[in-house]
Amino acid sequence: MSTAREQIFSSVRAALTPLPERTPRPVFSKDVAEPKWLAAETDSLALFQKRAEATGTKCFTDMEACASWLRAQAVRVVYIPPPLTRLVALCSEFCEVTSEYSRARVNEIDAAFTPSAGAIAESGSIILSDGSTPDRLAALAPWHHIALVSRAEIHRTIADALAAMPADPNLIWVTGPSKTADVEGILIQGVHGPGAQACLIL
Amino acid sequence: MAEQKVELFARRLDHGIQKAVHSNSAAGTEKRYNVLGTDYSAPDDLRRLAGQIRQHSIEYLDTYLEQAEQSLKRQGAHVHFAVTAEDACRAVSDILKKAGAKKVVKSKSMISEEIYLNDHLGTMGIESVETDLGEYIIQIDGDHPSHIVKPIIHKNRRDIAKSFEREGLGDYNDDPETITRRARVFMRDKYLQADAGITGANFVSAESGRLVLVTNEGNSRFCLAAPKIHIALVGIEKVIPSDADLAVLLNLLGRSATGQQLTVYTEFINGPARTDRPSGPQEMHVIFVDNQRSQILASDCREILRCIRCGACLNVCPVYRQASGHAYRSVYPGPLGAVLSPLLAGKKFKELADLPKASSLCGACNEVCPVDIPIPDLLLRLRNRGHQEHAPSPGTPPMGAFAKLASSPLIWRFAMKSNKVMNLVPLEKLPLPYLQPWLKTRTLPAWRGGEFRSWMKSRHKK
Ligand code: SF4
Repeated sequence: MSTAREQIFSSVRAALTPLPERTPRPVFSKDVAEPKWLAAETDSLALFQKRAEATGTKCFTDMEACASWLRAQAVRVVYIPPPLTRLVALCSEFCEVTSEYSRARVNEIDAAFTPSAGAIAESGSIILSDGSTPDRLAALAPWHHIALVSRAEIHRTIADALAAMPADPNLIWVTGPSKTADVEGILIQGVHGPGAQACLIL
Repeated sequence: MAEQKVELFARRLDHGIQKAVHSNSAAGTEKRYNVLGTDYSAPDDLRRLAGQIRQHSIEYLDTYLEQAEQSLKRQGAHVHFAVTAEDACRAVSDILKKAGAKKVVKSKSMISEEIYLNDHLGTMGIESVETDLGEYIIQIDGDHPSHIVKPIIHKNRRDIAKSFEREGLGDYNDDPETITRRARVFMRDKYLQADAGITGANFVSAESGRLVLVTNEGNSRFCLAAPKIHIALVGIEKVIPSDADLAVLLNLLGRSATGQQLTVYTEFINGPARTDRPSGPQEMHVIFVDNQRSQILASDCREILRCIRCGACLNVCPVYRQASGHAYRSVYPGPLGAVLSPLLAGKKFKELADLPKASSLCGACNEVCPVDIPIPDLLLRLRNRGHQEHAPSPGTPPMGAFAKLASSPLIWRFAMKSNKVMNLVPLEKLPLPYLQPWLKTRTLPAWRGGEFRSWMKSRHKK
């Protein structure tokens, strides 16, 4: 008896062999799916901010503003990975700061900063990778997530980001807060992941 | 005259459900139209390109599937193959049994619906929790999704509130925000306790071996954050040549499905955890499922395998909007389902052979399809197949006598002439009740059958 693998491959081959010709692989330029408004946007940072805000991601360019937003949100426990000492000082004024993400405290930690692997200007997406995020849960479980985005790592387009994907077991593009419209088509944010998504551009 | 089953279902459908399905679908169609219009001057060119990429992918499936297998193995994933739905279910439970896993969290995947995975896991004593909010509600209600992207489009908040109350998730409360928060709290524990996470895949890149998953809720990410085993169920047709093709496909998928440029989470999975990247599941299994796909590839309807499951054809379809998804009696509803479901049924094709008839062939599905599948053509091919296989055909008027008449010149000629006798019959006296109201306001012209032939003949003589 042949294995499932052999069976599948032989039926696929049997299906394809009689074709008189097969559709060739289309040749297309990398920018073929770029939106028509993209060319007018010359500044990638400004574009990223605009697109991110449009999809519901808050953008901060200085630590003070970001910290006071968290204070206004009445955050209780924030995870800040080292070595962001200035941020630690700012947040310690109004909440507990932890430098270790412990799974035992998943439901207590209600805000987390994690480094990102860059961003995409065209779509306003943040890129997270296992290489940059120590624990996948840290960027996912807290209600507030703030990704640290470095200006130099903002890709202009989706195609650019696809061409530059690091060999990481997991890479995720985050475009706005977690959301659903399952109940009567009404949009609700914060289903499983962060209800408040932000980024701090450094 | 007997009615088509889809039509019958539509007529008996609760008015509230019908209205909800209609307005939600219409809103989806409009969003899609607006975003494509704002972003592209020639969206149809892009759809054709995407169609070509997918057609190429399936016509070279032998090459790409093997390449995908190699790439996945290279990065440390286990690759399995399953010929039938039962094989696929068994492959999943074998992996779970071997690892001693008892609790599973699942992110939405149509192929797991197709193989009835949850039922199978239940009989094996394995707890499997759907984590997508809509799918979870479907699960606790013992229901079936009625849309491939919006599974509970047919339920209202009151239904959901009652289900949550019954399941002990809190007192009756039909506020959508409260419902969502309760699900969040409930799922948290499920994620953290689960031994394994099961997902589907929207695409598999043959060149890189990356599995691509798109969601809005973040549940698939959660399924891959806490559990130690990841099992991905993937239809063999999901393979694409390379990551670069995603620039076209992802840009069309989100816009077509929900009017978003990209869904909130676009996830690329490239193998299990490594020593220097320890966060994710330590074991990764990919199960490639055939379940009739290779037979579809051999048929004259292979174009349906291009489908990227965006749901745009459901939203736009006048029959779907009127009948809702359950009318299609199968996992895949709407125009997509009218083609795919009878094909997936394999030997039981005849049981669903009426679905391709539940269409006016208006062509709207083809116009919105991001991979340009000629759905109306495929429906016609399937109608033809149904005819050849003598599938029952309710709703089609009996044409047997006419066919005999029309295919024999001698009888035809005689009938044309002899029918002149009809001119002498007072029609309003005929005992045909359904004809009488019609005749009250109309008069039939006199029968002139056969005159065209005489005219043609005399013309030739001249
Ligand atoms: S057939 Fe086309 S429009 Fe319908 S779900 Fe599939 S990809 Fe979308």
